[in-house]
Amino acid sequence: MDSPGIDWMTALRSPDSLEQTEAVEALREILHRGLKVALAGRADVDEAHVEDFAQEALVRVIDRLDQFQGRSKFTTWAQSIAINTAFTELRRKRWQDVSLDALMADGERMTEPSFIPEDIIGSNEERSRLVAVLREAIENDLTPRQRAGILAELREVPFDQVASLLGTSRNTAYKLMHDARRALRKRLSEAGITPEAVQTAFCS
Amino acid sequence: MKSTDPKLTRDQLQSIVQWVDLTRENELNCGECLKHLGEFTEQTIAGAPVCDLMTSVEHHLALCPECREEFTALKRILESEG
Repeated sequence: MDSPGIDWMTALRSPDSLEQTEAVEALREILHRGLKVALAGRADVDEAHVEDFAQEALVRVIDRLDQFQGRSKFTTWAQSIAINTAFTELRRKRWQDVSLDALMADGERMTEPSFIPEDIIGSNEERSRLVAVLREAIENDLTPRQRAGILAELREVPFDQVASLLGTSRNTAYKLMHDARRALRKRLSEAGITPEAVQTAFCS
Repeated sequence: MKSTDPKLTRDQLQSIVQWVDLTRENELNCGECLKHLGEFTEQTIAGAPVCDLMTSVEHHLALCPECREEFTALKRILESEG
């Protein structure tokens, strides 16, 4: 909810003014209140975390004022940055023990025939064909980093952490996975496997 | 995380197949999604008609668990404000 009477963009850009001081404090309170709602019930978050996230988010919002396009309420936009700030940090802490070496090693084992066990394919002919093409694509069309990325995603390691391990940004990690999915899709298409066949492969 | 013997489960294989099925030539990345998340969330709550850009956000959310988690959290905040 936008606070009535506050012109956020003007107030936050008024250097060394009472208006700016009051707007900064009002925004900090809004972000803090929102984060308490968003993070309620999480065992890994206490009041000190919420305070820290609100403060860090406040700095980021003020740094990014030029990026606000007015397509949503200002406070909604600011809350989205606060949530991104808090969740990114919480994911980093949760997954900090993931090792790139182990992920890359496991990624390479995706090329082994045993990676997709026969018992999960069953006797369905269409499914067997789809899996055969997928196996070929995983081995020949994906890079080691893409294989590691897919495995990480299957294990629910977040993009933030995959990006950190690969020494890149979340956007670049997403692009890496997007390119991997496109490569798999292209190979299926070239093999004459239709999107409909892909959709129904595991329906039964 | 130590290296383990990776074997796909049926659910994981289904996930790969679903990702491939959902893949488009052009997709928003996480940064682009975040840029529009406020507008998308407000429109979702209001039940507003979905435009092309918002369809792209919706598509990204289907593929990205982290952005989906952030959307759910933002929606919870906005709904709590009434």
